[in-house]
Amino acid sequence: MRVRARLTPMPATVRDIAVSEVDRSEVLRYLGYRGQELTPQLAGRLDELVAHALEVARPRASIRSFDVEARELDDAGTPVVRLRGCALALAGHDVSRHLEGAVAVGLLAVTLGADTERELRRLSLTDHVAQVVFDAALTAIVERAADGAEALLVADAASRGLYTNWRYSPGYGDLPLSCQPTFLAVLDAGRRLGITLTPSLLMVPTKSVTALVGYFGEPQVGARTGCATCNLRDWCTLRARGVTCVG
Amino acid sequence: MLDISALTTPAGHRAVRTLRIKDDHLARVLAGEEFLLFDGAMGTQLQERGLAAGEVPELLCLTNPDEITQIHAAYVAAGSEVVTTNTFGANATKLGENATVEEIFTAAVGCARASGARYVAADIGPTGALLQPMGTLPFEDAYQLFAQQVKAADAAGADLFIIETMADIAEAKAALLAVKEHSDLPAFVTMTFDEDGRTFLGTTPEVAAVTLCALGADVLGINCSLGPADVAPLIERMLPWASCPVMAQANAGLPHVHEGRTYYSIKPLEYGQAVRRMVRAGVSIIGGCCGTSPEFIAQEKNLLVDRTPAGRSLNSHFTVTSAQQLVALAMGEVGVIGERINPTGKKRLKEALRTGNHDYVLSEAISQTEAGAQILDVNAGLPEIDEAATLVRLASELSGVTTLPLQIDSSDPVAIERAVRSYPGKALINSCNGKREVLEAVLPIAKHYGCAIVCLTLDEDGIPPTAEGRLAVARKIVAATDAIGIPRQDVVIDCLAMAASTDQTQPRQIVDAIRMVKAELEGVRTVLGVSNISFGMPFRPLVNATFLAACFGAGLDLAIVNPMNERLMDVVRSWRALSGEDESAQDYIARYADRKDGAAASTTGPASYDLSSPGGVSAALSSMASTLQAIAAGTGGLPTQEPDAQAAAAPGQDGSREGRIRDLVLTGRKEAVADEVRALLDDGDPSHDVMYAINQVLIPALDEVGDRFEKGTFFLPQLMASAEAAKAGFTVLRESSAEGGAMASKGQIVLATVKGDIHDIGKNIVRMLLENYGYDVMDLGRDVDPQAVADAVVEHHVTLAGLSALMTTTVPAMAETIQLLHVQAPWCKVMVGGAVLNPEYAQMVGADFYAKDAAESARIAAEVLG
Repeated sequence: MRVRARLTPMPATVRDIAVSEVDRSEVLRYLGYRGQELTPQLAGRLDELVAHALEVARPRASIRSFDVEARELDDAGTPVVRLRGCALALAGHDVSRHLEGAVAVGLLAVTLGADTERELRRLSLTDHVAQVVFDAALTAIVERAADGAEALLVADAASRGLYTNWRYSPGYGDLPLSCQPTFLAVLDAGRRLGITLTPSLLMVPTKSVTALVGYFGEPQVGARTGCATCNLRDWCTLRARGVTCVG
Repeated sequence: MLDISALTTPAGHRAVRTLRIKDDHLARVLAGEEFLLFDGAMGTQLQERGLAAGEVPELLCLTNPDEITQIHAAYVAAGSEVVTTNTFGANATKLGENATVEEIFTAAVGCARASGARYVAADIGPTGALLQPMGTLPFEDAYQLFAQQVKAADAAGADLFIIETMADIAEAKAALLAVKEHSDLPAFVTMTFDEDGRTFLGTTPEVAAVTLCALGADVLGINCSLGPADVAPLIERMLPWASCPVMAQANAGLPHVHEGRTYYSIKPLEYGQAVRRMVRAGVSIIGGCCGTSPEFIAQEKNLLVDRTPAGRSLNSHFTVTSAQQLVALAMGEVGVIGERINPTGKKRLKEALRTGNHDYVLSEAISQTEAGAQILDVNAGLPEIDEAATLVRLASELSGVTTLPLQIDSSDPVAIERAVRSYPGKALINSCNGKREVLEAVLPIAKHYGCAIVCLTLDEDGIPPTAEGRLAVARKIVAATDAIGIPRQDVVIDCLAMAASTDQTQPRQIVDAIRMVKAELEGVRTVLGVSNISFGMPFRPLVNATFLAACFGAGLDLAIVNPMNERLMDVVRSWRALSGEDESAQDYIARYADRKDGAAASTTGPASYDLSSPGGVSAALSSMASTLQAIAAGTGGLPTQEPDAQAAAAPGQDGSREGRIRDLVLTGRKEAVADEVRALLDDGDPSHDVMYAINQVLIPALDEVGDRFEKGTFFLPQLMASAEAAKAGFTVLRESSAEGGAMASKGQIVLATVKGDIHDIGKNIVRMLLENYGYDVMDLGRDVDPQAVADAVVEHHVTLAGLSALMTTTVPAMAETIQLLHVQAPWCKVMVGGAVLNPEYAQMVGADFYAKDAAESARIAAEVLG
């Protein structure tokens, strides 16, 4: 299949991501659950807090993609992937391996919004049990929201006849957190999502995720497990058109 | 008279500011008499010229000044009178090593000036970091970043400041204070709102307008995020509350790509039409934001030809705000200020303020909010604590549990200034009075920081006994507030309630004083701390209620009361029904339709109102009821549903009360545990004392919980629910007697999440568990400076400190904290925990103990403290 080039980078696209449910088992996993007996009372409280988290969270994503311009070694000999029209340089052995053979890179930032942060703070002052459960619920929700954002990138890649692998975040392997300021600036995530950074480069709201995926000319082995079990299926725009992301 | 021009706040800030305005046109613009046309987007134009995504655009002022000037010049050619410097992110944090703030502003103002624009606006955007308490940036650090920009821009020759795209009212406040305190140039401020009419941090257009106008913004408005059609309704909400000219700089809709080029969804003609609506509504300063170009500005120029700004009508309500909530009372409406957060005569509150464990304060705030208070009084006046620091900390913590605006209550002007400076809203100061020295100290604070202010009718001669005497003091006060420029509706006169039991003429004098102040001093409001009136009398609530009704009749606007006292709230609500404030008495009917005898029923808390009663409740009222229920449910943290009866009936393994308590702890039923522990103490067996309850009942139960967690038969929420239940038992023991209080404490432990880390869950779990084992925990919070940890340990001679870090990037801060503790507090053992740590790491950072989980931390505490 012919790969169409993109003349100028697309601007950052901002979308609300609808997350209407999360698996209770997923939330329980974050709470260290290993099959202990759940009293109806505790189960009820968990469900209430998960519902509350879904209500407070306002998942919103910014995505943007760039063609790979060059691969080189920096002064320290670390491989760097450079993107066309983008100041973000992706330095590290692991991210270079993740993007080996990629013709373009899709970036995403997603956040659940400041209301979740405010509610976490309120619970941290008033009810620690609720805070822990609410936090776990939000972690599950933000992962779902990142799935939704990734689905947008899958669709973007597909529109160019390309295939993605899976998402990879700053802080994984040797991709340093120091790329976060530029990562967020590229996605205009401060202005459009309200994501800020602390001096130690943590994102606030804390329930935020940044990640990248590679765009490839060929389907990637192990990237997708099939539509039936795909985490992105709720947001997939390809299936609706009767096509799949694996060619 | 006071020499207004010489007045400064205790920190030395001038109360009254004389603006340096470039020319007559700008002066008329600031008076709302003429239009002003700004420019459009800078970033969009730079991207069209090939700026790479993520590049620092401000550096182009140094590297490509001609291109920047060309962009400005194109806007000037299209009609812009003001061009905005390319300095949106030019603060020391964002620029880093690339350039200095001074270099960028000098170059940027030069580029703008070279375009031939009539005015150069120095652009100041957000810092990019979130302020405390949700983020880690201290208010004063944000202020310093802005102050550096302000000084640089002023020196470089800018004509005015535009503080823009603000989402955080605290950050906007820091920037505006930086302009006011370091420059005489006009300050324009715009905030950015989402479609739901709130900023990312929950501020509404009304809150922004009231807060920033009071603080002295010369122009206020909305920019970015939305297209002009979506900005219009929000700016219409802002207009009646903004006493200064209002501006709008909307986006050109959303970007999309077509054949490799970026387009915005709104075209210039359509944009101009949408802006016309705003101009007709009263907006007098316009321009564009993301996606706009000179063509858009040319369209806007057409709107302004041969026109003058539309007339506007402004509200004259009494107003105070928090970051998320406006409280506004039109003349004739009455408000309730909750008085509970004041240590005078309250043992538990004194104790809470002294130890710095503010849970009790927060619970008072929550219950007053639920009971219907609209403003919360906050007083931290204890001689043995740092009042200013405590007020600042309380204001910040209270914002975590209530959105009600605060009344900062202190007699120390320095403490007042510290508290209102960083307060994210328009606070009410309590109080000033007619003494010359106090007027000179406190009025400048209210003026400079844009606060409403309570003024007591007393002066050098004391409290005048007569209504005429109080009026005379009020007259003197209002002359001073008029002179310094505090609007009448922000001045709240307190005619001072005195005990009827010592002077029975007083009640009438006070009522008359309120009537006379309201009649003569047009526009001012009145407030009264009601309960003094009944001092020394039996059945005080009845006297207070009768007096409150009389005062409302005389024109009282704000009552400082205990909102948990239902008799007083009955008076407030019934008065609102009688005065017409409660339209058609809908609220009154909804609340009281089923009440048989208000007086007989009014002994308990607000819970006796049956809000769920559907009888005759209109849609509007049921929505109000559901709001209240939501508040109640939320603050209860979704309490367990278990009815106590059922819990109490559940037999213990051996049928004994001790066995029952153990089972209730294991199943996490906190209300039932409290009841059973109380019953255990009162069961007549002299051996069932506090020590017995702790050592034979609660601690063994907790040990069992710890074992189960260890073995994996309990998981985290169960561990925590049990700990919470045990805590309810310990609370009963603490309150049972002085002896119980002493015995129930097994020693003090300091806990903190280290500097730079904002994850506090792990620390909170540890805190909870340790508290429930009977330790006194001083929780210093998250993102805690190493020195603050050392200070707390040294001050209280604490022998165990726990530090938590969740991220690898913050482990060095942990090592630094431990090092400092070892030097300054060598007696103190340190335990560490957190996701990134392991025993080796713990040893590497110099910790004495590694706690792999919360249960382990309790074992360590037992080892160190016993």
